[in-house]
Amino acid sequence: MSLGRGRAGRLAWAALRRALAAVGSVLGATLLLQALVGFAPGDAADLAANDAALRDALSAAWGLDEPLFTRWGRFVLGAAQGELGESLTVRPGASVASLITASGARSAGLALAALALGLGLALPLGFGGARARRLTLILSAAPVFLALYAVMTGLNEGAWALIEAGRIQRPGWFALPDAESGLRWTIGACALAWGSSSLAELQAATAHELGRVRRAPYVLAAQARGEPAWPVALRNLLPPLVEVGASQVAVVLGGLIVVERALQLNGAGDLFWRACSQRDLPLACGLAASAALVVASARLLSDLTRLWLDPRLREAA
Amino acid sequence: MRAVTILLLGLVLALGLAWGERALEVITPLASAAPSFDAPLGRDHLGRDVLARLVVGAWAFVTPGALACGVALGIGVPIGAAAGWFGGLVAAGQRALTASVESVPTLGLVCLGAAIFGPSPQVLGALAGLAWAPRVAEAVRARLESLRQAELVLALEAHGVPPWRVLTHHLLWVGCRGLLLRQALTLFAAVLTLETTLSYLGDLGVAEPTPSWGNMLSFEWGIDGNPWAAAAPALTLWITCVALAWLNEPEARRG
Repeated sequence: MSLGRGRAGRLAWAALRRALAAVGSVLGATLLLQALVGFAPGDAADLAANDAALRDALSAAWGLDEPLFTRWGRFVLGAAQGELGESLTVRPGASVASLITASGARSAGLALAALALGLGLALPLGFGGARARRLTLILSAAPVFLALYAVMTGLNEGAWALIEAGRIQRPGWFALPDAESGLRWTIGACALAWGSSSLAELQAATAHELGRVRRAPYVLAAQARGEPAWPVALRNLLPPLVEVGASQVAVVLGGLIVVERALQLNGAGDLFWRACSQRDLPLACGLAASAALVVASARLLSDLTRLWLDPRLREAA
Repeated sequence: MRAVTILLLGLVLALGLAWGERALEVITPLASAAPSFDAPLGRDHLGRDVLARLVVGAWAFVTPGALACGVALGIGVPIGAAAGWFGGLVAAGQRALTASVESVPTLGLVCLGAAIFGPSPQVLGALAGLAWAPRVAEAVRARLESLRQAELVLALEAHGVPPWRVLTHHLLWVGCRGLLLRQALTLFAAVLTLETTLSYLGDLGVAEPTPSWGNMLSFEWGIDGNPWAAAAPALTLWITCVALAWLNEPEARRG
């Protein structure tokens, strides 16, 4: 009983250590963002439109006259209370936190679908050997925007040719990306999972783990006993696969900017792009800090899942 | 394959220096002209030579790509070497730094940098290099930690080779150069993707009339006429991405 409590205590301590590391990485990321704003040439307030009239108010509101660590501490304390300031140019006066919440909810489904699709494709491709590796490398090397461009052009031109020939009526999604349709979302999820070598990276990691598990003594022992090897292999493959998936979260969040912008989908990626192009620094910093929080949370979730799934890690903890 | 790619890249860059004026020359009567001897890939809808723009557009990612590699290796290698050599708190600090920087998506960091400092190749290169430096440090630390266990290091120390020589020559130069080449190639490919993406989406990338493969694509979106004007940058970009990924594969297999 005491041994069980001791083990549970060690497990809780390991989980706490990982949680503290995740908090540390978010704090580090916010410090980096605040330093970036502080290093702006001249003054970050000068970057805003109509800065002459607003300059003093903005400098006071952003704490630009304060040292970096004071400004960072204020940002972190505000963020902990759900207060990230107000949007400056994208939605003047609107709360940054509420804008992030609303747009993040719209983007979450797309990001999760892309992650699931990527892992779902990488697993069978991981079994494929060198030929599958070469094919994945060639097809997924194109950047996300190029994959979107090719798919949209192909669909638009193909549909237009059929419409002109009188073979089909004008489809509801025509012409991409202007018409609202579920097809835009599907194309976006596929491009996110596929493009910018995302799939090649996932496939390489999956193939590496598969190779390791296939040669592991527990799989060979199962085969020697005449038992099916795949349940043992799959059980041992799950923890590293969770880690591989978590490592792709930052890539997918970056890809959201491209997909939502190119397909005119209204989400956090599109909002971030507009915040950057209109120099709405509170909104852009808030969104970047939120992305850091999501990435760190995914990493923490993956660590905890590995602890839970892998008895060797539990023993080591 | 590697030699051919490097030779082609050199040829394209040399031509890019010579064709600067030609890429910007607008000949309205020749708008969307088909490929000819004068313009082998035809002309875009302003009558500009597509091949000249393609060649000059290569400089848009080569400059920031080279800068990013310099920044990432210049910062990442010393940090990774210190973490791998000293271990303990230094290694813990390096891992925390890597986790912090990797939490922010690289494209997001570059967009934010372009918003703050203004879009330019220097900003793109410097920020991509800064974002990548922790990955280089992590890779170098991991390699050094495994190499330090090797009997070779013990033998070198037993023969009285100074520690700085063991670290810089035997561990970093001999043990890590393949790894660093792989990191540099991966970063170069990432900068190509970043630059063309920003230029395609507009506002934060290379702006017209300066050519970039990204803005050449977006400029021809929905325009009928010469399909090569859009197909040429699309195919060139895809082939370059495949070539860079392919170049990296033997290094990946070696480790």
